[in-house]
Amino acid sequence: MQISEFILSPLLALIIGIFFLGLARKIMARIHWRYGPPITQPVIDIIRMFSQKAISHGSIFNFGLIFSLTGSIVVILFLPIGKMCPLSSGGLLVILYLMLLAPLGIALSSGEAANPNSSIGVSRKFLLALGYEVPFLLILLAVMTYYHTISLIEIVRIQANTGWSFGSLPLVLSGIAYFLILPAILGMRPFEISGAAQEISSGPKVEFGGKFLAFSTIQHALHEFIGIALFVNLFLGGWDLFGVLEPISNTVWGTILGIIIFLIKMLIIFIIELFINAVFPRFRIEQAMKYLWKWPTLLSFIGLLIVVLFN
Amino acid sequence: MDRNKISKWLKNPGKMAHKYSFHVVYFCTGCGIIEIPPSITARWDAERFGIIPVATPRQANLFLITGYVSTKTLKAIIRTYEQMPDPKYTVALGSCPINGGMYYDSYNTITSLDKYIPVDGYIAGCMPRPEAIFIGVTHLWKLIDMDKADGYKRYREDYVHYRANQEQLFGELEWPPLFIKEIVK
Amino acid sequence: MASIIHKGNSKMTDLKQMLLSGFDDININIPEDNRMVVSTKKESVLSILIYLKKFGYNHFALVSCNDWIDDNEFELIYIVSAYQKNDEQYQDIEKSSIIVKTRISREKAKFITIIDIFENAEPYEREIHEMFGINFEGHPRLTPLMLERNYKIPPFRKDFDTNKYVENTFGKIPSIKERKEGNK
Repeated sequence: MQISEFILSPLLALIIGIFFLGLARKIMARIHWRYGPPITQPVIDIIRMFSQKAISHGSIFNFGLIFSLTGSIVVILFLPIGKMCPLSSGGLLVILYLMLLAPLGIALSSGEAANPNSSIGVSRKFLLALGYEVPFLLILLAVMTYYHTISLIEIVRIQANTGWSFGSLPLVLSGIAYFLILPAILGMRPFEISGAAQEISSGPKVEFGGKFLAFSTIQHALHEFIGIALFVNLFLGGWDLFGVLEPISNTVWGTILGIIIFLIKMLIIFIIELFINAVFPRFRIEQAMKYLWKWPTLLSFIGLLIVVLFN
Repeated sequence: MDRNKISKWLKNPGKMAHKYSFHVVYFCTGCGIIEIPPSITARWDAERFGIIPVATPRQANLFLITGYVSTKTLKAIIRTYEQMPDPKYTVALGSCPINGGMYYDSYNTITSLDKYIPVDGYIAGCMPRPEAIFIGVTHLWKLIDMDKADGYKRYREDYVHYRANQEQLFGELEWPPLFIKEIVK
Repeated sequence: MASIIHKGNSKMTDLKQMLLSGFDDININIPEDNRMVVSTKKESVLSILIYLKKFGYNHFALVSCNDWIDDNEFELIYIVSAYQKNDEQYQDIEKSSIIVKTRISREKAKFITIIDIFENAEPYEREIHEMFGINFEGHPRLTPLMLERNYKIPPFRKDFDTNKYVENTFGKIPSIKERKEGNK
């Protein structure tokens, strides 16, 4: 059971991540009153990218991209998808640390690419990460203090017994703050700053072609998966659906239904994010920092205060 | 479109994927650029065919040359074309790349683009409407199926002659030759 | 659209009287409302432009050139206009513009620059130097603006044969098939 989870978890994340990419293009097209590509279009794109012969700028150029892809896959091993969680020691602290490997790898690659557009894109990416890390840390601190644990599996199990986090008073503020910074974590508008095609020629991806672009697309899909899966695990109860699954919770059917409920919750959050993505333009980096350090930080700070004082 | 035929996909996935995912370099020059934004936005939707513009030539595999080519633009076109990864396709819009078109006697525009970079197909018109651009794309699919869209192979094999033509027009070129082995031999 | 031509605009007729009395060898014509055409000899162009600028025509629109090859002369055309006075815009009916024309010889094609009066004439004179070959004395930067190649005759002159140039430059380059067959 354990070895199969090591393979099944990243594979499921990859399939769902690529499905979300295709769904994004289709839904955006329908919002624009046109037909749009088929939902399997990212698969066709990735197959085509692998069959092109791209040039490489050196060995660090190759290494940085593999480094970021590996970072994303390792974070997925620590995330519970439904009831499946291959590695569980360290929990939230390890996830918080490993989530920064992905931008670091992309920064290594684009430093070697020697293109000013990629340097600007990477510096903006790190500034944005600095922007959303402050409320992100306060949110995670509030959740960890409320449940007295750092393990994600424990948090999901307690929510299955006592109700979702979003419904309890101190944590609803942290939940709203996480929802406000979720576009910044995913890289969707209004915070699509580092990968902007029109302003900086798609930022760090400007020198990627062929197989490098394919890996970059896969890494982007996995990164989106991680952002939404954390939200669902921390605030929306994970695999739980108001206790409906109690009678069959230890059987194979229970596991499969848990995964399906988890993915449906992720789909709903993703579609809401797509609606926000369709309407907003892009912020500038200083506007984004001003926003991220104002209201989400304030809300998550108040949430943390309430949790600590009324413990 | 034979996008749903699974047997063709299993036999040659690379070729089928090349057909249904064209990423176009957003190289906007000449008269024909006024026809590209209507083609890729909501009215004549080009994304149904898998066509989407990208910002850099390194991520692209289709190069649309939309209209007349002046000598200054030709330098940029050659440098952009050489940065794209293989396999790549070139389609020229309008009558100016074929024989000079409306500017056949201008002191500044070239009369035939095929002498400098390989062109896979031409779409006639001045400028062709978006419907004509889509029909041209379906013809390019047929050419890819028959293995006749081999502009990039011709560029690699006959690079000596392409480079000689470019140097005859410009004099000394600022960038070194792309395939050095073919020249040194 | 029917247009009624008023030739009785008082400001323009006053200006016409003042110009006729101040300069000699000058020819003024008012074709329609708020438009005036002044043809002079080349020595008085500068003083006319300074006079017009003081009178209120302080917006320099363009300088352009015509090639009269049969008369063996170039014609320089300056357009100045007035659309505001003391930072207050005129109504549409009061905006006016004046064309100043002069002729210079074609063999020794040179003239004086008007950058000291109107600073934004610099790129226009650069383009005229590049395309017609007229030398503007006093211009700080007469380098090519748009063209990259060297032409024996400046390309906008009427004795520049475009068909022959295209045949010699672009037509002589062989196609790839001809090169490959020629090598064999």
